[in-house]
Amino acid sequence: MAGTMTVASKEMRDQFGSRRFLILFGLILVLGGLSAYQGVDFIRNNTGSSFVYIFSGARMSFSFIQIMVFFGPILGLALGFDAVNKERANGTLSIVLGQPIYRDSVINGKFLAGAAALTTLVFSTIAIMCGITIPMLGFAPTLEEALKIVALTLLTTVYLLIWLSLGILYSTVFKKTSTSILFSIATWMTFSIVIMILGVALSSALVPLPAGDFIGTPVTPDGQGGQGGQRFSVSPEYMETMQERQALQTAIQRLSPTQLYQETASAILGVGSFGFGRQEFARTTTLAEALANNWASITALSVIVVVAFAASYMMFLRTEIRPGE
Amino acid sequence: MDNVVETRKLTKAYGDFVAVNELDMEVNKGEVFGFLGPNGAGKTTTILMLMGLSVPTKGTAIVAGHDIIEDSREVRRVASILPEYSSLYGDLTAWENLDYIGRLNDQPKEERENRIGEMLGLVGMANWADSKLESFSRGMKQRLGIASTLMKDPQIVFLDEPTIGLDPVATREVRELIMKLNREKGLTVVMTSHLLHEIQMTCTKIGIINRGKLILLESMENLNKTMSGGEDRRVELMLTETTPDLVRDLEAVTGVKSVTQENGRLYVYGNSNSDLEVSRAVTRHGSYILMMKPREYTLEEIFMKYYNQEVAG
Repeated sequence: MAGTMTVASKEMRDQFGSRRFLILFGLILVLGGLSAYQGVDFIRNNTGSSFVYIFSGARMSFSFIQIMVFFGPILGLALGFDAVNKERANGTLSIVLGQPIYRDSVINGKFLAGAAALTTLVFSTIAIMCGITIPMLGFAPTLEEALKIVALTLLTTVYLLIWLSLGILYSTVFKKTSTSILFSIATWMTFSIVIMILGVALSSALVPLPAGDFIGTPVTPDGQGGQGGQRFSVSPEYMETMQERQALQTAIQRLSPTQLYQETASAILGVGSFGFGRQEFARTTTLAEALANNWASITALSVIVVVAFAASYMMFLRTEIRPGE
Repeated sequence: MDNVVETRKLTKAYGDFVAVNELDMEVNKGEVFGFLGPNGAGKTTTILMLMGLSVPTKGTAIVAGHDIIEDSREVRRVASILPEYSSLYGDLTAWENLDYIGRLNDQPKEERENRIGEMLGLVGMANWADSKLESFSRGMKQRLGIASTLMKDPQIVFLDEPTIGLDPVATREVRELIMKLNREKGLTVVMTSHLLHEIQMTCTKIGIINRGKLILLESMENLNKTMSGGEDRRVELMLTETTPDLVRDLEAVTGVKSVTQENGRLYVYGNSNSDLEVSRAVTRHGSYILMMKPREYTLEEIFMKYYNQEVAG
């Protein structure tokens, strides 16, 4: 354990002092601050809005959740992708492993340091967002809202740890940092973009719309239709197909932790969840309801962290220093 | 117990390639052991296995009384390694680097700080304690690397190519440091090198390894005897005058096997007991000796001899 803490404190110094972390931290703080301003604007224009809408304000094109959905993988992967192989390339790994420490203290220490950096990032971003919005709004979150914010913080941290452990896994598996960075980028694109597109494409292909005329009978204009246009009702068959398609699409997209995070985070805040840049509709739920409804997602997110870290742990324990490393 | 290192059929295979093949080798306490061999002979792999950085495919070894497989952590408590191409942390100062190593060795603060000061002084880096490693020359880095291996106060240190890539001045500093540590602290040192004269100047015992097999294990003392010729000792003579009579007389001296003449020089083959009689015979003929030099075999020649034998065999 002493070895773990020694490695962790050295790594933490490295992480917190690294330009990489400071740039990402700064970027997230700026984006978070801007999204909070938008949230304040939304809350002011919609009386009776909950304080937590600063994280998800319905009129925003980007909210805290969406910032995390999009940048979260980059944050975690960036702090982890070269954790082990950089030391291998620099020749420091063999010196450290030549000391009387248990091998796992190196990988544990590195994970702890990355986790500390990410936790700091999430906690301080959320704290600063609350800190600037409370005086602007003139009211503070209620207890329930405060608990929701805490839950969002923890969920976001777990979500970021997924990417950190994947990054550390790549740094353990691949000897070169150039390989692990490529895999990190591929991972980010796969889970943030490819699976989302795949969900849409596959569900459209597998659930074709019913043949023929799916549009129901026109609703007779009664003067309320506006611009004298006709309004059409939609056939129940069509609605059914679209719902089926939507369900399949969501199921496919749930293969990605970003989807699980987005759904769960939106549920905790009590808003509907849609894709990046789409409108969000208020749908108030209590925290307990949200947690109960999304328990499976929360478990899945945590399991991914454990599995990815366990894999790098096993790999690292079997690591051999070969001549020339 | 005299053996600090004792390998027992130590074997390492990478797939089909056997890097170290049933190696049996001993290093005694207080020795500076030179580990020689061509590239890929298995020197580094052996050292890595001894330090628990690589796991043997077969066999085992005892380092300072601890089994390298069962007791790897204990081995790393009393043995240090400076791997080839290794480095400390470039963004940390000399002091911080040694501090990290001390912490990894669980040294309490006071002991650690005293030791850092002592080690920096020992390797002549006391004035650079607060400079970052990345600003150092290769020689300074290597000296600091040696200081880092000494932080745990080891019984044995493995130095893999400690002078590779260093300029002559730095090479000499490192060499003198190694010899000083051995002399003053009784530290056992195992070093590998391609620089044969380096080994010749530094080591008390050498082992030559080729294709994973030890082909020679000999004390430097015995090797020096071999190198001065032993059976085929040769003395080079330059005389003021060389006559056929003189040559005949020289051939008649007891202990002399043969005499050859080349470029105005005489080459006398025979044992060292004949030297005095040879010089007497020269003066008897009214000639004088301008130069009399026994030829020494370099380690390189010995190395090549064993290497060629191995390749031919």
